[in-house]
Amino acid sequence: MGALAIRRRAHMLASELSDVMEIIVKTLRACVRGPRRRAEIVEHMTHMGVESLPIIVIATAFAGLVVTSEIAFHMDMALHTVEMIPGFSGQFIFRELGIAIPALLLVAKVGASTTAEVSTMKITEQIDALKLLGIDPVEFLVYPRFVSSILMVSCLTLISIFVTLACAIAFAVINHGFSTMEYLNSLTPFLSTKDLVCALVKGAVFGAVMPIVSCFYGFRCAGGAEGVGLATTQSVVTSTVLVIVLDFLLTYAFSLIL
Amino acid sequence: MSIEFKDVRKAFSEKAVLDGVSFTVKSREILFILGKSGVGKSVTLKHVVGLLKPDAGEVHVDGVRVSSSDETVLAAVRRVCGMVFQHPALLDSLTVFENVAFGLRGTDIGPARIHERVIECLRLVHLDASILERKPIEISYGMQKRVSIARTLAPSPRYLLFDEPTTGLDPITTNAVNDLIHELSRSLGVTSVVVSHDMGSALRIADRILVLDEGTILALGDRREIRESHVPLIREFLSEVD
Repeated sequence: MGALAIRRRAHMLASELSDVMEIIVKTLRACVRGPRRRAEIVEHMTHMGVESLPIIVIATAFAGLVVTSEIAFHMDMALHTVEMIPGFSGQFIFRELGIAIPALLLVAKVGASTTAEVSTMKITEQIDALKLLGIDPVEFLVYPRFVSSILMVSCLTLISIFVTLACAIAFAVINHGFSTMEYLNSLTPFLSTKDLVCALVKGAVFGAVMPIVSCFYGFRCAGGAEGVGLATTQSVVTSTVLVIVLDFLLTYAFSLIL
Repeated sequence: MSIEFKDVRKAFSEKAVLDGVSFTVKSREILFILGKSGVGKSVTLKHVVGLLKPDAGEVHVDGVRVSSSDETVLAAVRRVCGMVFQHPALLDSLTVFENVAFGLRGTDIGPARIHERVIECLRLVHLDASILERKPIEISYGMQKRVSIARTLAPSPRYLLFDEPTTGLDPITTNAVNDLIHELSRSLGVTSVVVSHDMGSALRIADRILVLDEGTILALGDRREIRESHVPLIREFLSEVD
């Protein structure tokens, strides 16, 4: 790669980072100004939360069954006992599975639809029209999605943890002879308030990242249908990678500070 | 009171789209900017409202240098310039009423006056109040274009900028939109700049016609001067009309 190409790539990267920072700053500034446009926020919460609930419940329910089954199989094979199923499966569900799965599902469902919508607005000049009418597109499009996403991803994380755990308990009760109380009593020593705080913070962070990334790619979209497709793909890939990387960083940070 | 371009240069990925373009739009005239696809007609228009910044040169609106203005000055320029885009660019999630009233949000105009103004603007584009509660998707493309013009008129701009207003319309609707632009420009006393590749429309309603090619101005004159031009590209455009 020539020096010119490297310089051009670096310039492009700097410009992208500057655009992301601008979106973040404008969105936070809009949040600081106090709650506004409640109707739109509720509408986005319904779209994001209520309409996503069925797929999240189904996916996390089966994830709970798979994880418990796998943990039981390997525990039985290595330790010749399944007594520790509640501790291991419950902790894994609380700390990772119940948080990452809904976030990744929402990236695929809501993040993709947001990027496609904003991209279409960009190529049909609706974003330019907003600017000319004196409306800041970031405030108009990102702010309500940002607020609703933080609230809904946090709520869906709790629901997801509950559903996954319920399925894990059901699997342990049916297949390994635990009673529900036995499972919960065995699980309790492995969990603390820290896990709940960690889950809620992770949910809120994933919820904040999603609309920023989705709208950023939407605002940058160029070209026609191909451009919308490309922007949507880039948005989903970036959000997915960010969710996984942030998941690790937050888990690590919480292990140090709590 | 005018729009002025002074030696404006703009390039995208090292391709010069505007290469030293200078012209002035006279007050209350209808200026057509004509040219083939990709010669920088829409780029020219976007410079007027600061959606694009020139690499070199200056753009002035009423003496204000748009090309170097900060957001506050730009907002003031945008209040006096209404732009109708190639696509209707209506917000899908809002009704026709909300779309037309959109530019009046945040002003000190009361709800009753906003409602009146929306009806007035719809009347100006020959639409009635029956479509107020419809979403853009529920009305025809031609009507969407008219609603888009009504939205642009709502804040009472001094300049109307039209970016390919008749693209995608049938000949009858094209004539109706051209007549509408002419009628609005005359009745409201605004200055209009219309970007188009349709010589027929230009000869029908323009006061002056500017022909762009290869990033430079090929010709600028009134309808008679353009009709009598011997420049090959202009003859080609004229032959399409004849």
